[in-house]
Amino acid sequence: MKTLKLLPVDLSLFGLLLLCTTFTPVAGVQPTVHTIRISQMQFNPATLTVHKGDTIVFVNKDIVTHDATEISGKAWKSPALASGDSWRMAATKSAAFYCSFHPVMKGKIVVK
Amino acid sequence: MVLFIAFALQLQTAAAQNKQNNPKLSDAEVASVAVIANQIDIDQAMLAKERSKNQDVLQFAETMINDHKAVIKQASDLVQKLGVTPKENAVGKQLQADAAKTANMLRTKSGSAFDKAYVNNEVAYHKAVISAVEGLLIPESENEELRNLLQSIVPALNAHLEHAQMLQKQLNQK
Ligand SMILES: [Cu+2]
Repeated sequence: MKTLKLLPVDLSLFGLLLLCTTFTPVAGVQPTVHTIRISQMQFNPATLTVHKGDTIVFVNKDIVTHDATEISGKAWKSPALASGDSWRMAATKSAAFYCSFHPVMKGKIVVK
Repeated sequence: MVLFIAFALQLQTAAAQNKQNNPKLSDAEVASVAVIANQIDIDQAMLAKERSKNQDVLQFAETMINDHKAVIKQASDLVQKLGVTPKENAVGKQLQADAAKTANMLRTKSGSAFDKAYVNNEVAYHKAVISAVEGLLIPESENEELRNLLQSIVPALNAHLEHAQMLQKQLNQK
């Protein structure tokens, strides 16, 4: 009985969530959290498009240690991420990045 | 250079002969070869850390040590889980013998000659190991988890190869 009573509330909340993610965020809406998964020596997605203020989380699902380093090496750099580690940053500016341990691994963040 | 080529050929020949004569490697032997192949690259990287002064080469060597240690850890965890004891065999012994020759050659060099020789060997070695993993170790593995583990290290080996090739170009421009 308890479940039945709660269900309509849950559904309307769910609808609200859908609205938030489907339409362009307006002022006051929570920033989105995006994940870049590192596995098999690749950043996935390799190009991520976000809005200013969104959060980007790098998750290392690989066997070996990686990092995410802004290409000039001056703007930002994650710490070394061992297998299973993650690191989050706020998106402020578009940037190309790479892994300083494996310079052949590259990615891009596009801030709209 | 002759040494590297001879070594790469030997591994490739081992893989080719395996297809023809099918000298079965047990999973215990595959595991042993996998650990030895990774350990060899760690040892060469240690030598590079001793002898090189080039920042890019030193950083590459550090990555080789960390990555190949991580792979050995995965392999050791798996054989322990499977209750397999890695078993010495002719392929592994040949790898060690060739690695000893390479190490002796590298010890005679210093400065940029060392850097070039080390990086050239890393290019040849990773090529040879990739072909051995794909052409010999994966087909010889009975156990699915062992096969999957070997499959999962191929992208790292490829990234190492590309990284070494990048350094090779850089060093040859100087
Ligand atoms: Cu990396």
